Amino acid sequence: MTGLLARAGATPVTAPHGLPRLIPAGAGADPGLAAHLARLGPPAHSPAGAAPQAGPAIIAAAQAAGLTGRGGAAFPVHRKLRAVAAAGRPGRAVAVANGAESEPASGKDRSLLWLAPHLVLDGLQLAAEAVAAGRAVLYVHRDPDLARHLADALAHRAAAGCDRIATEVVQAPDRFLAGETSALASRVSGGPARPGFAEPPVYERGIGGRPTLVHNAETLAHLALTGRFGPGWFRAAGLPGEPGSMLCTVHRADGAGHVTEAALGTALAALLPGLGGPGRGEVQAVLCGGYHGTWLDPAVAAGLTLSRASLREAGAAPGAGVLAELPASRCGLAETARVARYLALESAGQCGPCFNGLPRMAAALAELAAPRPAPRAEADLRRWAGLVGGRGACHHPDGFVRFVASALGVFRDEVAGHARGRCRATDRAPFLPVPAPPATEADWS
Amino acid sequence: MSARESADLWYASRATGVVALVLLTLVLVLGVAVNRQGRLPGLPRFAATSLHRSVALLAVTFVAVHVGTAIADPFVSIGIAAAVVPFVSPYQPFWLGVGAVSVDLMLALIVTSLLRTRIGRRAWRGVHWLAYACWPAAAAHSIASGTDLRHGWLLDLGAGCVAATAAALAWRRRRTLRDAPPAQRAGPVLAAETRRRAAGAP
Repeated sequence: MTGLLARAGATPVTAPHGLPRLIPAGAGADPGLAAHLARLGPPAHSPAGAAPQAGPAIIAAAQAAGLTGRGGAAFPVHRKLRAVAAAGRPGRAVAVANGAESEPASGKDRSLLWLAPHLVLDGLQLAAEAVAAGRAVLYVHRDPDLARHLADALAHRAAAGCDRIATEVVQAPDRFLAGETSALASRVSGGPARPGFAEPPVYERGIGGRPTLVHNAETLAHLALTGRFGPGWFRAAGLPGEPGSMLCTVHRADGAGHVTEAALGTALAALLPGLGGPGRGEVQAVLCGGYHGTWLDPAVAAGLTLSRASLREAGAAPGAGVLAELPASRCGLAETARVARYLALESAGQCGPCFNGLPRMAAALAELAAPRPAPRAEADLRRWAGLVGGRGACHHPDGFVRFVASALGVFRDEVAGHARGRCRATDRAPFLPVPAPPATEADWS
Repeated sequence: MSARESADLWYASRATGVVALVLLTLVLVLGVAVNRQGRLPGLPRFAATSLHRSVALLAVTFVAVHVGTAIADPFVSIGIAAAVVPFVSPYQPFWLGVGAVSVDLMLALIVTSLLRTRIGRRAWRGVHWLAYACWPAAAAHSIASGTDLRHGWLLDLGAGCVAATAAALAWRRRRTLRDAPPAQRAGPVLAAETRRRAAGAP
């Protein structure tokens, strides 16, 4: 295997043209390290035993590419890299690939780790090199099969001498907030996967008190490609202001779901068949950005594109790329109430406004989703939304309030119908995926 | 400055002082309610925190006017420094000094509360204990440095403030916290609220 890297360096590789970039089209399984190197050439990071490259060059390339985080917040990658690089002496920082996507409706990081783990691991090594990290961690949800798959991938890399520093895999509990940056830092430090206060920030004092770089797994995959083929190649897809592509998890009204890679600026109608073409009329609303995201009216969504600038007009954001069509046969309030109940029970139970406010709002929403709710249910929801928004240590209450408030807007006809005892639903089967709520304290570690 | 204006300032200082004492009592009672997870009629539990903050802001405003008018009033000479430096006022050095101590403690409480997310919960909590020194200082200053609270209905008001604080502290000692583990806190709230709604309770 040691010859793998040398062979990859000897064979010229052409940069992938068009999309998809991250997961090769038609890939049903991880093709392995040899095929990965044959497709994309040698990684941009230094191999085992080599002296590390200068971090500033890697950071400058990320800045020139305009790469932003793909975990939901779209924070500029170069700024995070620079902050961690400046926070401590070389070798002290920890670099983490965050593959613990908490969103039940999202499957993109899981797909990426199953089908192209080496791209994520390349990116993690490059990011670690950029900030002179002494430790690299891959953080994923608890899943024995995936853990075995990643251990195999890491063993192949070690045998081929791919990586300068070893990567350890840390598993997170299956909690909605476990992937939040401060929860991640707490979990990898040996504590429960619960969010903490944002000060001091994780990039200054994170895992074990060290400066910690946390990037979403997909972000690192993009970084690995940008390192190989350059910022110009990265910018060939997407918009000038929001370059590149992103993975989207699309849920169609017919129940089918898939992960797809789309350039920033792609029309939502091109990703969601229900917004135009034959599926038209089957969709009553679109959920954009997942369970901390925003419900959109299909007529509005049809005029928008996959970009922060466009979605902002409708009060939405791409988030981590979850796009879900709600079929006409379902009750939007019932779906929202089910998800709200799940989110409320996923409160980490640390901040009063969250563990007192969210369950109350969920109960009021459940009443609103039933026939003939008390007239004050909607007023209660709006009043409590104002009291809960902006409170707490993490952004769980904010995301919850955004999600619920958008439902009250988009499903206002349904709210009026329920008041008269009428509901549009012809199918009461749950549509949006919602896992079982936490049962015990042990579920958090 | 005419004698008429002077009397206005003197009355304003006394009146805002009395109102500030009532508001500070309310802040303390609300703070105890927040700390012990108490319910206020007609308010969800987490709204008590907002009310505690809002009334505290109002109380501080009254204290500021009270101190400002007392200093500006030429009837007695107090001096600007005496507002925050204890025991330097030429007029009633001791009891005005006690008031200045209470103002200083208030400033510490405000600054640490504004920086709460930066200094961490433990440091904030430690400083917030000073509230139990701040109120007695303010009350002692109110009763001893003025004569208003010693007669008539203002005496009843002052006694009411002391009684309310004593009752809140007694309740605080008796009330035990329901310390469910964090993961089991949202569930019971959801169940209770669902029951309350099903029963059609207000």
